[in-house]
Amino acid sequence: MFNFINYFVLTVIVVATVYPFLNVLAISLNDSTDTVRGGIYLWPRQFTLKNYETIFGYSTLITGFKISVLRTVIGTVLGLISASMLAYTLSRPDFRSRRFVSVFLALTMYFSGGMVPVYILMRDLHLIGTFAIYVLPGIVSAFNVFVIRSFIDGLPYALQESAKLDGANDFQIYYKVVLPLCKPVLATIALFLAVGQWNSWFDTYLYNGNKPSLTTLQYELMKILDSTQQGSAMVNSNDLAKLMQQVSPESIKMAITIVVTVPILVVYPFLQRFFVGGMTLGAVKA
Amino acid sequence: MKWNSKKALPLLTLTGVVLLAGCGGNNGNDNAADSSSSPASAGPTSSSAAAPSDSGTKMDTTPITFTFFGADASPNWNNMQDEVGKVITEKTGVTINAEYDVASGGGQSKIALMAASGQYPDLIFAKGELGKLIDAGAILDLTDLIDKYAPHIKAIMKGSENRMKYSYDDQAIYSLPTNGGVGSQYFDATGGFEVQLRVLKELGYPQIKTVQDYENVLSEYVKKHPTTDGQPTIPLLLNGDGWKRMITITNPAFLATGAPDDGEYYVDPQTYQAELHYKRPEERDYFKWLNHMYNVGLLDKDTFVEKDDQYQAKIASGRVLGLISQEWEYGNAENALKSAGKDDRTYGHFPVTMSDQYQEKELQSAGVDFWGISITKACKDPVRAIQFLDWLASDEGQVLINWGIEGKHYNVVDGKRVIPEDVLNAKVNDNANFTKTTGIGLYTAFAPHYGDGVKDPTGNYYTTNFPEQIQASYSDAEKEALKAYNATTWKDLWPSDLPVKEWGALYNMQVPTDGDYQVIYQKTQEIVDKSIPKIILAKPEDFDKLYDQFLADLNKAGAEKMEATYTELVKNRVKLFTGKDIQ
Amino acid sequence: MDSQSAIPSAGRANATSASTAGKRSFWTEIVRQKYLYLMSLPFVIWLFVFNYVPIWGWTMAFQNYKPAKSFIDQKWVGFDQFRTLFHDDQFYMVLRNTLAMSVMGLVAGFVFPIVFAVLLNEVKGVAFKRVAQTISYLPHFVSWVVVAGIVTNMLSLGGVVNHILVWLHIIDEPIQFMAKPHWFWGIVTGADIWKETGWNAIIYLAAITGIDKELYEAARVDGAGRFRQMWNVTLPGIRSTIMVLFIMSIGHLLSIGYEKQMLLGNNLVSDYSQVLDLYALNYGIKIAHFSYGTAISMFNSVISIILLFTANGLFKKFAKESIM
Repeated sequence: MFNFINYFVLTVIVVATVYPFLNVLAISLNDSTDTVRGGIYLWPRQFTLKNYETIFGYSTLITGFKISVLRTVIGTVLGLISASMLAYTLSRPDFRSRRFVSVFLALTMYFSGGMVPVYILMRDLHLIGTFAIYVLPGIVSAFNVFVIRSFIDGLPYALQESAKLDGANDFQIYYKVVLPLCKPVLATIALFLAVGQWNSWFDTYLYNGNKPSLTTLQYELMKILDSTQQGSAMVNSNDLAKLMQQVSPESIKMAITIVVTVPILVVYPFLQRFFVGGMTLGAVKA
Repeated sequence: MKWNSKKALPLLTLTGVVLLAGCGGNNGNDNAADSSSSPASAGPTSSSAAAPSDSGTKMDTTPITFTFFGADASPNWNNMQDEVGKVITEKTGVTINAEYDVASGGGQSKIALMAASGQYPDLIFAKGELGKLIDAGAILDLTDLIDKYAPHIKAIMKGSENRMKYSYDDQAIYSLPTNGGVGSQYFDATGGFEVQLRVLKELGYPQIKTVQDYENVLSEYVKKHPTTDGQPTIPLLLNGDGWKRMITITNPAFLATGAPDDGEYYVDPQTYQAELHYKRPEERDYFKWLNHMYNVGLLDKDTFVEKDDQYQAKIASGRVLGLISQEWEYGNAENALKSAGKDDRTYGHFPVTMSDQYQEKELQSAGVDFWGISITKACKDPVRAIQFLDWLASDEGQVLINWGIEGKHYNVVDGKRVIPEDVLNAKVNDNANFTKTTGIGLYTAFAPHYGDGVKDPTGNYYTTNFPEQIQASYSDAEKEALKAYNATTWKDLWPSDLPVKEWGALYNMQVPTDGDYQVIYQKTQEIVDKSIPKIILAKPEDFDKLYDQFLADLNKAGAEKMEATYTELVKNRVKLFTGKDIQ
Repeated sequence: MDSQSAIPSAGRANATSASTAGKRSFWTEIVRQKYLYLMSLPFVIWLFVFNYVPIWGWTMAFQNYKPAKSFIDQKWVGFDQFRTLFHDDQFYMVLRNTLAMSVMGLVAGFVFPIVFAVLLNEVKGVAFKRVAQTISYLPHFVSWVVVAGIVTNMLSLGGVVNHILVWLHIIDEPIQFMAKPHWFWGIVTGADIWKETGWNAIIYLAAITGIDKELYEAARVDGAGRFRQMWNVTLPGIRSTIMVLFIMSIGHLLSIGYEKQMLLGNNLVSDYSQVLDLYALNYGIKIAHFSYGTAISMFNSVISIILLFTANGLFKKFAKESIM
């Protein structure tokens, strides 16, 4: 009985959440002039692949794709390493600087020096116009550390103690004992890191805007995208006329969403198996 | 030594921060600091230019690259790999490494960072942000460069030299106007009040001169046709989504009461006093009329709640009888109607005013007053740069930029430039690709140029838009309507021969970033955004009270102070542009 | 529940290490724990360089910052920017709006994802589980522009919601939901639930995987039904994760962005839809008042940190769970 209600409720939720995505997909496959008439819900009225053709006609996308993949992989790996190491050291109650590092780390989530000082710093460190700026400055994320740490806290400490008795040093305990048990949370954090890297464009815009060889996929798509939704009241009517001529139709915007999301959907199942479904922590015995 | 370990690390941290703060901040601004020397030091100091210092005709064509930043989006920019771009590089040796802004443009963040960090591109199209860069001493004064090396630019700007100057107090030339065409003419009127062609036809093409005429037409037709294709007919639809209210709701208030478009202000042509246009008593009557339209059910109830795409969808469904807008604002929807064959559901335009004592001044020209391109102090060869821009401004350059390559994008038949059918087709139907491959239309922001309707020495137009095209592109329904009104284009219905505005286009005028001006402006805009919808949706008996409250709120927010500042700026501008002496 | 966290929690650990600390010399300890320091110190330095160093920019809040001038040439105005800020009625209005929506969002953003994760976990069929989970996070990737359009459409006079309500005779006339200022906060929260629940649930799903399956066995043996098991095993099992996330979220109470409020709002409800970040944008960067923007940002950070420490302290005391 419970099962039935559960399946029912979850199905309702699933149907409700899949709708916007199907809607986007339908519009992206619909002729752009016809889209203006509205009323497209789950399937296209005038099917066309033209929107996708237009997008893929921008050759800069290829470079953008390559760079985006590169930064996603590198950024995720570096982020995982840093977050898990820090999380481990903070999970050790005997770590002398535990309080200091926790506070030092936690505070970083709530302040920023501002766009100008950060920019000047990047300039002084010669990071502007480089690939490194995509992956180096943001290596450490306090949020990720605390999430992983709370997971580690849930693991039986006895395992670490017995490893220590066997003569393992702290690094080996981290690497051989704790890390393998963290697969679910590591997969989750990897997902967050990857999606974050994949979707970012503002850093490209600020720092690498004039380096076509370092462009990212999202940035290229942003360039195609029209955002007059956010037009300011200070824009005058003369400019508006010009802006509107560059409006990319609804359907192109939707096609862009699909193009960006599909790679994530493709990669996702590989991570998903770590935290949904069959896997159990069989080896953990209290 | 016994350190208090708990305090050591934080102390070290603090020291480090202070030290690095000292270094970081100054380093960054040193560049800006020593560049605040006079911008007029630009001049012909570069030794690499092979060009003689008098005529600009002998131009060095050794390969050189200029970096450029444009505060507008340009999604089709192809790194000069397009056909026109290659020819430009071939003839001038110049390659432009361009970066454009994204989204709605404006370049605020990027330009602020440029000023703060001292890193500038060689050329820049800075729009409203130019002031920051001038303050940073980053922009060169082009007066001498133009005089010595840019004969074509001089020719184009003849008669408008005053308009290139920055301000009355600083008469340097910091930018060359490129965001519009010199001598540009409107071939058609695309604004005013719109009425569906089928409505005009059925009612026998009545005269629509006043808001009362307009209202009568709409209410008469909707009585006869309460539904269209099974859905309720919408007599009048306006776009209340965000800033679009300017185009459909608040700007028409001054257009319908005899004032031209000067943004949110009204400037008295005699005294040059500026005030927020809402304060004009005539406009109260306009908003009262809108309130009336809402209360009698002629104005769509969702006006202020719906988003832009719902607005467009309603229009595209063909059931909206009347609009008050500019064609580019609803153009997508009109295209949807045309492609569905519903030409009789598209719109005609009328210069409607409150009464016939007013002239509709939408087509009044602001003269030459555009944002444009500047050369920064980062440019190592400003002479070469100005010569390059001058080449683009030459007849040869302009034809290349607008028409393309002879034989490829156009042919010369009996001395007339003609665009072949297939090229035209690609341009209209597959514009993005066309622009990317050919490069036509990508280079107009780089140099001053003539606008639509201006002919070159060969008797051909400089641009590819000419009056004959407009008439050819009218649908049959439109042609029929125009004939009934004794007009060849909608523009014929509008008053002509309006004088050029002495103060140019006020929305291009740089306003002070110091002090309260911008804050008050922002606040008053928010008050307008909030109050006007409330006023229009109110019950008729509450109208006056609410409108009075609205005006009081504006003044409470500091409107009078802001208007006084603005008036001074306008007066200075008129002094600069016309040479008149104004007190 | 005790068998779950076998290691001492943060609160008690600090007490232990503090008492033995005085005995040993600091540097000996570092050498003893060299691996731990090697695994953390480089990152601490990293954070210092990229996060703490730019703090010098906060001095802008005490100046009348002009990007053109060098640091020394800036005009110093003391607390003027803050004075202006705290005297602005609009500031308090946006503060109210921000807090209202973020508190509502906080509650909704915890209840729904947790319930969803727990329910999903109960599903036996792996295929259904995977598919449902994958679909549930899709709206996260759809931009707010699109979602706002869908929501506005659904709530419009001719939209789905009104159709259903009229058909069920709950109302006679369609209601213009988006025009009602008092409903705005609810609409925003609702839209957010729709969009983010699936994605937010991922962390909890991962945490649930970490629960020892034997505990369920033990509970079943004790006669617990499905709900009992969820209440006594699943939820406590992810308690630590929930609390850590909650503490971190409280710190973010003022920084909820502005995109969704702006897109869902309109000119009629602006008194309820304007939030702090939009105010900072409009009166700061957009009009080149960098100092004002920095002052607001500083205010935001200070309040966030106070909230963080408060939440952390309260949780440490009453729930034995904290992040610092």
